[in-house]
Amino acid sequence: MTAVLNINGISKSYGKVKALNNLTLQINQGEVFGILGPNGSGKTTTLGIILDVLNADAGSFTWNGEAPSKYSRKKIGSLLETPNFYPYLTARQNLSIVCKIKEVNESEVDRVLSVVDLISRANSKFKTFSLGMKQRLAIASALLGNPDTLVLDEPTNGLDPQGIAEIRAIILDLANEGKTIIMASHILDEVEKTCTHVAVLKLGNLLTHGPIQTILNTQEQVCVSSDDLEILKLTLSQIDGVSNINQTGGKIYLMLAEGKDSAYLNKALFDKGIVASEIGIQKSDLEANFLELIK
Amino acid sequence: MLDLIKIEYKKIIPYRTFWVIFGLVFLLTPAVFYGIGQMGNDTVSFSSIYQFPDVWNNITYLGSWFNLLIGMCVVILICNEFSFKTFRQHVIDGQDKVDFIVSKVLLIVSFALFSALYLFIVGFLFGSISGGSDVSFVKDIKYLLIYFIQAIGYMSVALIVATLVRSTALSIILFLSSIAIESIIQLAIPYPFDKYFPMEIIANLTPNPFLKDIAVQPGIEIANPLAEAQIPLNTTLIVAVVYIFIFWGITYFILTKKDIK
Repeated sequence: MTAVLNINGISKSYGKVKALNNLTLQINQGEVFGILGPNGSGKTTTLGIILDVLNADAGSFTWNGEAPSKYSRKKIGSLLETPNFYPYLTARQNLSIVCKIKEVNESEVDRVLSVVDLISRANSKFKTFSLGMKQRLAIASALLGNPDTLVLDEPTNGLDPQGIAEIRAIILDLANEGKTIIMASHILDEVEKTCTHVAVLKLGNLLTHGPIQTILNTQEQVCVSSDDLEILKLTLSQIDGVSNINQTGGKIYLMLAEGKDSAYLNKALFDKGIVASEIGIQKSDLEANFLELIK
Repeated sequence: MLDLIKIEYKKIIPYRTFWVIFGLVFLLTPAVFYGIGQMGNDTVSFSSIYQFPDVWNNITYLGSWFNLLIGMCVVILICNEFSFKTFRQHVIDGQDKVDFIVSKVLLIVSFALFSALYLFIVGFLFGSISGGSDVSFVKDIKYLLIYFIQAIGYMSVALIVATLVRSTALSIILFLSSIAIESIIQLAIPYPFDKYFPMEIIANLTPNPFLKDIAVQPGIEIANPLAEAQIPLNTTLIVAVVYIFIFWGITYFILTKKDIK
């Protein structure tokens, strides 16, 4: 696989605050890469540096193996923080300026406006737009020239539920076309539904990264309960293939090794003289996993 | 290069503030010039200000005051790029800091060109209509070139102030008060170095024609301290051009040092 973006030991401080600490990451072609983290974890700082609006204090990065330049940025569709346009210009005029900068044919304007469903407002001034429309125009702008790589910073920010679903569908379409998408978000649901890989940041440090299933433990969990939870817990710990036992409320959650299912667990408990009052399978709690990660 | 200036004009042609300021300058210049010529009374007449070749010095001196308005327009346009965050967006989309400086310098030069061209038209019309002089209209037309450099000079000060301050209101105040601020600093600097300060050099490019008249008046024995201290126009021109390049360099330096917020 070819690396689209290689980040090598990037650090950035704002005065005494260390916003990013020695970040090293590789993002490969075709990945939908989510950068997760709470507010102030360094997501936007990372994107700002790779898009050359922030100067890193240390470290380097390359786009497709080459040193970053304005030419590499012309081929990347980006949305960083707020949508930035001239308020007194219309949507079409604003996008036509971006076309000139990106050296893209102006016929692209109508295409991207249709994609984000703004074509009927093409000749309205940007200042008359609602927050959601501004966000959609920014996404349209990122799509100009049909770039192979997209950098999106909280793309569904400010959108209503319908808008969120529409943008998510656009992102998934792009991902299916094989485009590389780098996306920062703090909305776990969004990341789970769109990303193939994630990196988790906290206070500028990279906590972990890799395929989403392994990082956020999208693996299934088994939930068991019985009359005496203490004995149940003790017994469970003696059963082969059981791991990650923890008690929440009146239930015990655990994970089973590959090839073992709830029937196996039920039988093993029964053999040890314990009758479970409930055995159920549950999708792992993404939020809990995430909170656990950034603790 | 051509694309950069095209982008600049795509931004400003639909911008009303731009048209209001240039409309004001282009309307007021001939109106005020006509007005000054009509002043005076039975004994003193100013109507000779329209005549070749004096018209070039006179109209460019008047135009130099309106350069402050054009400079304000430049301040507004550049501060807009920061307050709308469009400069940041341009970088994200594939421009760099050099493109920003080159775009703005091209814009400034084009503004100076249009203004100089307009003053040529106004001056030529006034000179031709007033008559009363057999001198060819090209005599002393060098004042237009000097005005062109001066316009670039004022707008380059605007560029540096706007890039440094980034807030429109504060930048306009600082730009307009830069002459006053400079005169205060000059008080502490010994002669002749105090005469080489940028705003003074730029302002002196279009010499006050009335001062010149006093200076050359025969029979006036009192030395005119202002005229005496004048640096020759050619020297002023060279120093001004050097300043302009320094301003562009400093602007680039400011941009590279700061994060693009």
